Amino acid sequence: MTTAVEPIASPPAQPPIEARERMFHARGLARIYGEGEAAVTALAGVDFEMFAGELIVLLGASGSGKSTLLNQLGGLDSPTRGILHYRGWDLGTADEAGLTQFRRNAVGFVFQAYNLIPSLTARENVALIAEISRDPMSPEEALHLVGLGERMDHFPAQLSGGEQQRVAIARAIAKRPEVLLCDEPTGALDVRTGITVLEAIEHINRELGTLAVIITHNAIIADMAGRVFTLSDGRLVGVRENTSRATVRSLAW
Amino acid sequence: MSLLDRKLLRDLRALKSQALAVALVMACGLAMMVTTRSLILSLSTTRDNYYERHRFAEVFARLKRAPNSVRDELVKIPGVATVQTGIAIQVTLDVPGLMEPAVGMINSLPERGAPVLNIPYLRAGRLPQSQSRTTRGELAVSEAFAEPHGLKPGAKLSAVLNGRKQEFLISGVALSPEFVFEAPPGAALPDNKTYGVFWAPYKELATAFQLYGAFNNVALTLAPGASEGEVIAAVDRLLAPYGGRGAYGRTNHPSHRRVDDEIRVLQGLSVAFPLVFLSVAAFMVNSVMSRQITLQREQIAMLKACGFSNRQVGAHYFKFSLAIVVGGVVFGAAGGVFLGGKLVEMYHLFFRFPQLDFMLDTRVLVAATAVSSLAAFGGVAGAVRRAVNLPPAEAMRPEAPASFRPALLENFRAARWFSASFRMALRNIQRRPVRSGLTCLALALATGILIVPNTFRDGIAYVLDFQWDVVQRQTVTLSLVEPQQARAIADFRHLPGVVLAEPFRYVPVELRAGPIMRRLMLQGLPERGTLSRVIDARPAQFTLPARGVVISAKLAEVLRVKPGDEVIARVLEGEEREISVPIVGLAEDFAGVAAYMQLDALNRLMREGDRITGAHLSVAAGQWEEFLRAVKNTPRAAGCMIKASMRDGFRKTTAQSIGLLQKMYMMFAVIVAFGIIYNSARISLSERARELATLRVLGFTRGEVGAVLVGELVLLTVVALPVGLVIGSGFARGILTAVNTETVRLPLVLTAANYAFAVAVVAVASALSALFAARKLADIDLVSALKALD
Ligand SMILES: Nc1ncnc2c1ncn2[C@@H]1O[C@H](COP(=O)(O)OP(=O)(O)O)[C@@H](O)[C@H]1O
Ligand SMILES: [Mg+2]
Repeated sequence: MTTAVEPIASPPAQPPIEARERMFHARGLARIYGEGEAAVTALAGVDFEMFAGELIVLLGASGSGKSTLLNQLGGLDSPTRGILHYRGWDLGTADEAGLTQFRRNAVGFVFQAYNLIPSLTARENVALIAEISRDPMSPEEALHLVGLGERMDHFPAQLSGGEQQRVAIARAIAKRPEVLLCDEPTGALDVRTGITVLEAIEHINRELGTLAVIITHNAIIADMAGRVFTLSDGRLVGVRENTSRATVRSLAW
Repeated sequence: MSLLDRKLLRDLRALKSQALAVALVMACGLAMMVTTRSLILSLSTTRDNYYERHRFAEVFARLKRAPNSVRDELVKIPGVATVQTGIAIQVTLDVPGLMEPAVGMINSLPERGAPVLNIPYLRAGRLPQSQSRTTRGELAVSEAFAEPHGLKPGAKLSAVLNGRKQEFLISGVALSPEFVFEAPPGAALPDNKTYGVFWAPYKELATAFQLYGAFNNVALTLAPGASEGEVIAAVDRLLAPYGGRGAYGRTNHPSHRRVDDEIRVLQGLSVAFPLVFLSVAAFMVNSVMSRQITLQREQIAMLKACGFSNRQVGAHYFKFSLAIVVGGVVFGAAGGVFLGGKLVEMYHLFFRFPQLDFMLDTRVLVAATAVSSLAAFGGVAGAVRRAVNLPPAEAMRPEAPASFRPALLENFRAARWFSASFRMALRNIQRRPVRSGLTCLALALATGILIVPNTFRDGIAYVLDFQWDVVQRQTVTLSLVEPQQARAIADFRHLPGVVLAEPFRYVPVELRAGPIMRRLMLQGLPERGTLSRVIDARPAQFTLPARGVVISAKLAEVLRVKPGDEVIARVLEGEEREISVPIVGLAEDFAGVAAYMQLDALNRLMREGDRITGAHLSVAAGQWEEFLRAVKNTPRAAGCMIKASMRDGFRKTTAQSIGLLQKMYMMFAVIVAFGIIYNSARISLSERARELATLRVLGFTRGEVGAVLVGELVLLTVVALPVGLVIGSGFARGILTAVNTETVRLPLVLTAANYAFAVAVVAVASALSALFAARKLADIDLVSALKALD
């Protein structure tokens, strides 16, 4: 019998999924817009779990329910049916005040349209969120993390799309969120700029151990993820686990 | 400073011209509120202090003659606190430098000691002293009369006392709480050139009129809790045997009533105008904020997604409107203080106080801030509520594209000729009917507000013509000291230059209908005179019937009677008598209130034979000076009212002060009209920026694109103008009703010129705003306007 020796050469990048803390837990999660004949089933009952430190990509055609799912995770919207727990706390039955606190303390959002406040500078946009968080990092630190140390005092209109999106990411992470939710963060960007933005997200995920969920409809981007959820018509039709995560730089767009 | 506040400041800066427009409209409303409320405070405080310090009496009575012993009985009346008796008598004056005779009302000063009631305030010199110490009789003169004649202590003046001309020395210039407003008895308008108040020692005055040891004038104050009505009744009973002419309280005191009426006018103005302006401002705040919130839909969603609570987001937008309110309050208070300071000087034209200073009503500032904050918050509450209630996931989605339909108007055949721009304008209006309706209403309000100030001006012009060309066509009115035989008219006819003379008899009466009563001169006039005429609302001349009275429409309103009703007339002269007379018609007049009766009918009622108290005369212009000289030497003529100087007086006092108000309101109205229209243009520009940019990208020229925007504004303006004229006429009617008093009224005169002016201002404001918008349109960056398009 030989002593089981851990292979020193290739330590697992992360502990096995099951050993990590379970952040989200969904059973039969459904979201139906409207009523009667006009009802649209955006999510038709999905089951999943998401764990701390994971990087998950949501894939799917337009209209498949990705944004709806992300909004549920972020407490922007409540499920019509089913269960959605965050660290054992029932998001589905939480009230407005509870959801506000959840968003304020646990969640960082990045949107396709950046949604920066045009009348505030990059630094101020980040500082704005720091104002309402418990233990924020300084705006400078957050902006350095996304590689924008230089242009902190520019207004959004003076920044390129990629830079604006990185400001948005800095804003999202400045509060040290447990979850970073990104809805098509590269949707409005060209390849090169998109890469810098994805790198920033990956960097945060690795350095801070933040659970990151990224929506895309670009299958190649999915290679950077630990797990890939594929949605179709409001159903979760596949969960793929990448044995090795590709670095963003290696993605062939 | 929190970053949301910094965002607020920057957003405000970006919206500065619109925020300024709203703040200015608000400021106009507030300035009027501050001005008028402060003037009310200044007038009423000054008056109350003056009354108290100079012991203005509470009950007044005139009588023919009573021995001084009656005074003791007056004191004994339950409820009476202090009594002052004396002599007040009207004399003819010969003022150096004045061609026409003037009338003086001389009041006696107590024989021993200082006055205890209605104490004169000395502006210059000293009170007159008895002849025993000086060689010549002395008089103190009221400031209102002294000023236009340049009378200073040491000046000389002749007066005809009981038929004997006597020269007096002016010892001082004085004021009295009894004569804050100084006008001839029964006259609504001041005539400081030919009527003045004087003070003389009791002894001189009494001796000259054989009244020594007697009095003909009573002033008294009431004990706390005493009933004025009971005291008046007791005084009347006591004085009746001595020729008492009916006691009255402050509400019937001419000077007091005039000040009261002025305060009432200010009260009307302090509510009516600001109400309109502040509602307009609230509407503007709402439109600006709704637009702002729509534009920041995604920012709101982001703030909420990041954990800002509804309260924080809501507070942010409320602060936005609060900033506008603060701007409005600061401008409004500053404007109000400035204008109030100016307007308070206007009251020196009418009212004589020892000192009248502008007092800022600080409570109104607090109230005004509260009112406009409420107005602003009311204006934005809906928009803010909608914004925070929007689930963030929802707000993140771009607003659903508007659904367009062909405009209803396009169903008409003429629609073929509509240009593409015009069609787009039409469809835009129809797509948002509420918004378009509100903009239209705002434009209509802007038009309407512009109507009001000029109705003041036109009303004054009408009164100047009507009162002195249609109603009073005499050159001069001469009155007699005492009623005389009707044949005295012959004396007047023989004066040089007299072309026509019409007799009249004025009898002081108290008209009563139920509990309400008014004292006035019942005017007996020829059945259908050519000089002083009684005119109805049409306007047509009345033929005075053999029975019944014609009274001012305003008097009928005050007494709550209508033609056909009876009123009780108590004669306050000679034999005490009460008669019931039917009202046969309502006269149109604008200054004071009056009652008219056929001269013969009045004489029959009085049962003293055919008597007159004066005559209206038409005098040939060439013999005017000769005429005046002759009048001065007619001892029986007690008063001489020259129409031209009455009209002049009106022009210099009432007309001038209303002119000032008109200018002030006009300035405000123009600001408000511009503010409303500019704001509307900016909002429709902002709502359509993307659409207009798209049109430009598609190859439309800047002019064509501008035409869409301007076309919409023009369409709305065209609809709004007639509505505005109707609304404005309503405002004018409401405001004139609110400020009409028994002393001065303005008729509602709506002229084509007034309407044309309002239309022109709105047209110019629209054109300028369109120009502004078109300039902004050029600034729209086509790329960035389209960049956010998905
Ligand atoms: N607020 C809403 N009201 C009605 N339907 C909605 C709403 N939001 C999303 N949907 C519908 O739900 C479905 C899923 O939308 P979404 O989650 O945005 O898709 P994805 O992000 O995958 O493109 C779509 O058919 C969409 O039209
Ligand atoms: Mg989506």
